[in-house]
Amino acid sequence: MEAPIYYSKSEFIETDTGNKVSRRATIAGPQNIILGGKTIISSGAIIRGDLRQSRPGHAVVISLGRYCVVGEGCVMRPPYKTYRGTFNYYPMKIGDHVHVGAGSVVEAATIGNHVEIGKNCIIGKFVIIKDCAKIADNSIVPPNTVIPALSLFAGSPASFAEDLPESTQELVESQTKQFYQSFQPLDRDR
Amino acid sequence: MASSVLYHCPCLSTSPIPPPPHLPSSSHSFHPLHTLFFCEECDAVRCNRCVSVEVSGYYCPNCLFEVPSASVRAEKNRCARNCFMCPNCRNTLSVVPSDPPDAGDGRIVPISTVGEPPFFLYCSHCRWDSAEVGITFEKPTGLAAQLQKSEDSAPDSLEFERLKEHFEPLIRASSLSSSSSAVPSSAAHSHHLHSTSITAAASAALARDIPGVGKYNPLTRSGRGNKDRSANKDEMPDYKSRMDIITASKHGSGGGVTDIEFMSHLEKRSRCRYSRTAVGLQLGSIITEQPLRIPLHSKRSKRCPACTHILIKPEQKAQSVRYKIKLVAANYLPAITIALPHQVEKFGHASAEAAKRPYGKAAAPTEEEKEAMGGLVAGETYPFHLSLTNPLYDPIQVKLSVQRMHVAAPSSSDHSAAQEKARRPPFVVSLSTTPFSVAAFAEAWEYDDDDDILDDDELEARLSGREKEPKTKTKTVGVLEKRANVTIVGGEVMLRKEARGNVKFNMLVSYTYRSDDPSPEGNIGSPSKSKVPETKTFAFYTVVELGTIIPREESRIDIES
Ligand SMILES: [Zn+2]
Ligand SMILES: [Zn+2]
Ligand SMILES: [Zn+2]
Ligand SMILES: [Zn+2]
Repeated sequence: MEAPIYYSKSEFIETDTGNKVSRRATIAGPQNIILGGKTIISSGAIIRGDLRQSRPGHAVVISLGRYCVVGEGCVMRPPYKTYRGTFNYYPMKIGDHVHVGAGSVVEAATIGNHVEIGKNCIIGKFVIIKDCAKIADNSIVPPNTVIPALSLFAGSPASFAEDLPESTQELVESQTKQFYQSFQPLDRDR
Repeated sequence: MASSVLYHCPCLSTSPIPPPPHLPSSSHSFHPLHTLFFCEECDAVRCNRCVSVEVSGYYCPNCLFEVPSASVRAEKNRCARNCFMCPNCRNTLSVVPSDPPDAGDGRIVPISTVGEPPFFLYCSHCRWDSAEVGITFEKPTGLAAQLQKSEDSAPDSLEFERLKEHFEPLIRASSLSSSSSAVPSSAAHSHHLHSTSITAAASAALARDIPGVGKYNPLTRSGRGNKDRSANKDEMPDYKSRMDIITASKHGSGGGVTDIEFMSHLEKRSRCRYSRTAVGLQLGSIITEQPLRIPLHSKRSKRCPACTHILIKPEQKAQSVRYKIKLVAANYLPAITIALPHQVEKFGHASAEAAKRPYGKAAAPTEEEKEAMGGLVAGETYPFHLSLTNPLYDPIQVKLSVQRMHVAAPSSSDHSAAQEKARRPPFVVSLSTTPFSVAAFAEAWEYDDDDDILDDDELEARLSGREKEPKTKTKTVGVLEKRANVTIVGGEVMLRKEARGNVKFNMLVSYTYRSDDPSPEGNIGSPSKSKVPETKTFAFYTVVELGTIIPREESRIDIES
């Protein structure tokens, strides 16, 4: 028995694929953002789909998989660098079952599946987080850091703390599904 | 404390019965279900403390390169590619080019795609760079090879080589003797023997006098002369270090405060997990501040300590999270979770209240908020819900029983009331011991998203204020609900007025399941017997924690008592 997590029905927009996006979140460049389905964008989150590569045409800037949560007040911003004298933004790809805790800033290049990022973390530019990894609350992951699969990183600068159990994938999957299920609308009129 | 259910692994004791929950040893014997393994051969739960571990592959945690075992030793367990740690903060260093030359018109002209030499290693976290210590590179690739020379000629590395040379004959001799004497049937056992003879030799060598270092003279050894020690067959010639320690370093000779400061400095720097093997390198790095090659990580197989069957065998690919063999307890034992309805209701209520506010937050309450809301007050009675999820493809019959808190038999004489009261446990748990069924797991039942979570209507009724009077007493003990492969049973805990501490009790779970294996004594040829499915019973202990008791205010107790 899990306590339901209520949200105001008027605050969230639910898409056909079950994504729930807060009206209090800032979604810049929505045409460049992909949400995989059953993904929740919490209030106060900022997603910068507008920061895209300078070449013309349509481009995916930020993609999130299924059963993801972008916590309250999170900032998701694509990484950038100057390469051969040209400044450019690079896309950010996030897998399924990824939770980003409230107040974290993410500029990673890729985040795998079943990844848990704690609250108030800073994930630097071009960080690569492999499957089933976990970042402890309040960690600072410097730019270009690679976080291997099934490892817990913590601290500032974040460093390897311990190996995660072999069942992490199943555990995270059931937790993220359960979170989505308990995230319920509350009708104000009732 | 949040509520939890942990599972027992009996490996720490000879008794299958776990320690009482109030003893410190309890927390070492119980583990979350998802960290446990299950050996089918022994029909037993295994934990990370008791399984034997073997390295099945090495990889660099930064470049993720899979390092062949053959080269691991030569490369000193570290990445031999372009991966370095900051000697100052342990962050991964990046290779950066020098600033490109100015074209004259103020514009920067990049000459090559990789940038201008010389290259150096830079820490984006603390801004340390290798140019500070005079290390630069001609090319941005093969840095380890470029650094190799200076690494190899570093005093610490030379000293280590010398030590290795010194111990090599002894290690070879001891591994020979252990392999001839070890029981060949058990790999884990012979490994153990092997490592102990090495450790014994090492500790013997460490206890020996080193010129310039104060003599370590434990009382048991003080009476013995040199002749006595040379009689030891493991004895070998004294090690002579490359440098006299007194002249080589300002540390170690002064003793006292200087040494303590130096050691605490070392300790701060040895945060990386290979710190023990890296002490030499770190000593070097403190003096020279060299970039540190990144220690390798390993993928590991796990075996049952009793029968050596493999429980965990990862796929070869370093970053794969799949396993060739994965015998985890979660696939055998029912998963048990605990909830306190009064807390669930309060959290739901708080979340609903927050959602109603125009600029409120629609979020789960934090752990601290939960603790404040869902406390257990002394003298009260609380219902709790245990939810059991069956991972098996066949239904199971489960029986729960609470382990008695104080098993010590009451003394026959001396029955004073005060003593009786003191002996009484701080709380009483009522839980039905009648067996109940949990339906089989079926893929189709997995996460029916439209399923409402529990008690939604009731909760909303309460929120809207429709239900002012206390509810009519409903059943709280026994089976409350069955859905899919989940059965929820209710229990009750009555806290005594004087109760303090945590509400924590041991619970024995035994479940009966249909077994595919014919029982050894069963007549396989007899058709009448094969119609009746064989059943087996497995029992395990759990510790159930409900939370911390909040003492009542003294005045209220006074009035009531
Ligand atoms: Zn164990
Ligand atoms: Zn590497
Ligand atoms: Zn640094
Ligand atoms: Zn076994």
